[in-house]
Amino acid sequence: MSNVENILAHPVRETVVPAPRPKITAEGAGVRFGSVTAVEDFTTTIREREFVSIIGPSGCGKSTMLYAIAGFLKTTSGVLKVDGEPIVKPGPNRGIVFQEFVLFPWRTVLRNITLGPEIAGLPRAEAEERARKWIRLTGLGGFEDAYPATLSGGMKQRVAIARALTCEPDILLLDEPFGALDVQTKNYVMKDLQDLWIAASKTILMVTHSVQEATLMADRVLILGARPSRIVADVKIDLPHPRDPADPRLGQYRQEVTAILSAEVDRSMKIERSR
Amino acid sequence: MPPGFRLFDRVIVVVQFLLPILGLLLFWELAVRTGLAQASILPAPSTILARAVELLGLTGERAVLFGHIGASLKRALLAFALAVAVGVPLGFLLGLSREAQLWVSPILSLMLPLPAVAWTPILLVVFGPGDLTIVIVCFLGAVFPVLYSTMQGVRACGTQPVWVVRSMGGSRLDVLRRVLIPASLPALITGFKLGMAHSWRTLVAAEMLAALSSGLGYMIFSARSYMDVSTMFVGVVCLAAIGMAIEHLLFGTLERATIHRWYVRDAGTGGRQ
Ligand SMILES: Nc1ncnc2c1ncn2[C@@H]1O[C@H](COP(=O)(O)OP(=O)(O)OP(=O)(O)O)[C@@H](O)[C@H]1O
Ligand SMILES: [Mg+2]
Repeated sequence: MSNVENILAHPVRETVVPAPRPKITAEGAGVRFGSVTAVEDFTTTIREREFVSIIGPSGCGKSTMLYAIAGFLKTTSGVLKVDGEPIVKPGPNRGIVFQEFVLFPWRTVLRNITLGPEIAGLPRAEAEERARKWIRLTGLGGFEDAYPATLSGGMKQRVAIARALTCEPDILLLDEPFGALDVQTKNYVMKDLQDLWIAASKTILMVTHSVQEATLMADRVLILGARPSRIVADVKIDLPHPRDPADPRLGQYRQEVTAILSAEVDRSMKIERSR
Repeated sequence: MPPGFRLFDRVIVVVQFLLPILGLLLFWELAVRTGLAQASILPAPSTILARAVELLGLTGERAVLFGHIGASLKRALLAFALAVAVGVPLGFLLGLSREAQLWVSPILSLMLPLPAVAWTPILLVVFGPGDLTIVIVCFLGAVFPVLYSTMQGVRACGTQPVWVVRSMGGSRLDVLRRVLIPASLPALITGFKLGMAHSWRTLVAAEMLAALSSGLGYMIFSARSYMDVSTMFVGVVCLAAIGMAIEHLLFGTLERATIHRWYVRDAGTGGRQ
C-alpha cells in the first residue's frame, strides 16, 4: 500500500486522535502556612501521560505544591483536582518519590517494594509477582533480599521509584529525585526513569532544581516565581523522546529556561534583601 | 564469612570480656592473702565463692540464694513489664500529639531525674512493707525512661515515611504498624534497657527498706546484723551478674534480631538510611 493509499484508506485517523484527558487541574491553587504564603496562585492543566517538570528558586513552594497534589497538605485557596475530583487525601493513584528516598530500613528491598500491594490487601505471592516486574525494569534484580542500609544512593532511589510504581499509580510525583545522587548515578537513574515513563505511560510531575534535568526529560517545564509564587512561564519542550543531551535544540531550550529562571532568582534575592 | 570463623570471633570477644574481670579477681585474691586488705571487711573471692556454694545449698545448708534471686527477679521483671505496658502506649500518644506533649513534658522533666527510691517511705506509709510497695517503687523507676525513649523514637520518625504509607492508601493502623512501631524500635529498645536497669537498681534499695523476708536486697541488708560480709558480697555479685545477663542476653538478642540487621552498614554512624 502506498503512502497516499494508506492515507485514503484511513482518512479520518489523523483528526480523531483525541487530546489526552486532563489529569491534574489547578485553578488558583494556593497553600498558606499560618502567615507564610508558600504558593499564591498555581493555575495549570496537566494532561494524561504528560511529563511535566516544576522548576523555580529555592523556597518558592515547589515541594509544597507537589505535596498538595499528593494530598499530604491542604490547599488554602483555589481548586486542585485529579481526574476531575477535588483532592482531599492521599491515594494510591498518586505515587510519591522523595529526594531522600525514605525507604523502610527494617524491610528488605523486596518487602519495601511489596508494601503497596500488601496495604491494598493482596496476597503475598501476588504482591511479589507485581513487584518482580518493577524490580526487573529498575535493574534491582539480585538485590531483593538486601536491606536498604547496604545499598548505594542510586540503588536506594531505584527502590523508591519501584516501590511507587508497584502501586500502579496513574500519576508519579517526584520531589527532586536526583538531588541526593552523584552525577554518574544520576545520569543512569535519569535514563531509566525516561525509559520507564515511555514504557509505563504514566503522568509524571517532577520537581527539580536543575534546568538540564527538566529540559531533558519533560514535555513542559513550569517555572515558578519567587514567593509568594505563581507560574511565571510554561515552556513546552517540543522534542521527541528519548532525547539526546547533546542535541543543540535542547541547548536552546536550556538557555530559554535558564534566562527566565535567573531573572526570577534575581528578583527573589532582591526581595530577600529589601526585607 | 564461614561459620567457623564467626564462632572463633565470638570466643575471642568473650575471652576479651572476661580477661579484665579475671585479672581483677586475681589481684583481689592476692591482696587479701598477702594481708594488703583486711579479710573481715573485704573477703577474698575464694571465700565469697565458698559462701555462695553454701547459700546455694550444695553443702547441705538451706538453699536460700535461689529463693532470694527468684523473689528479686520476679519483682523487677513485673515492675518492668508494667512500665512497658504503661510507658509505651503513653509514649506513642505523647509522641504523636504535640499538644499533649507540651502539657506533659514539664512534668516528665521533673520526674525523669528523680530517684524512685525516694518514694519508698511514702509508699511504706500507704501500703506497708511488702511486694506491692517494692513493685510500685521499681515501676516508678522504670516507667519514665521507657516513656521518654518511646516518645523520642516516635517524634524522630518524621512525616515523610508516614506520607509514603498514606499515599499507598494505608489507614492509621497501617501507619502505626508499618511505620511508627518499627521506626521507633531502636529507641524502644534503648528505653527497655534503661527501664530494666532502673528497675533493677531501684529494687535493691527498695528491698532493703520494704522487703519482709526475701530478695537479694533483703539478703544483703539482713546479713549486716550478723556481720556476715561474705553473704553481702555474694548478694552484690549476684546483682551485678544478673543485671549484666539481662542486658546482654535479653536485649542483646532483641537488638541482634532487629536493628543490627537493619542498620548494618551505618551502625558506626548511627545513621538510619
Ligand atoms: N510545614 C511548614 N510550615 C511553615 N512553613 C513552611 C512549611 N513547609 C514549607 N514552608 C515554607 O513554605 C515555603 C515553600 O517551601 P517549599 O519547601 O515548598 O519550597 P521549595 O520550592 O520546595 O524549596 P526547595 O527548592 O528549597 O526545596 C518556604 O518559605 C518554607 O519555609
Ligand atoms: Mg523542596
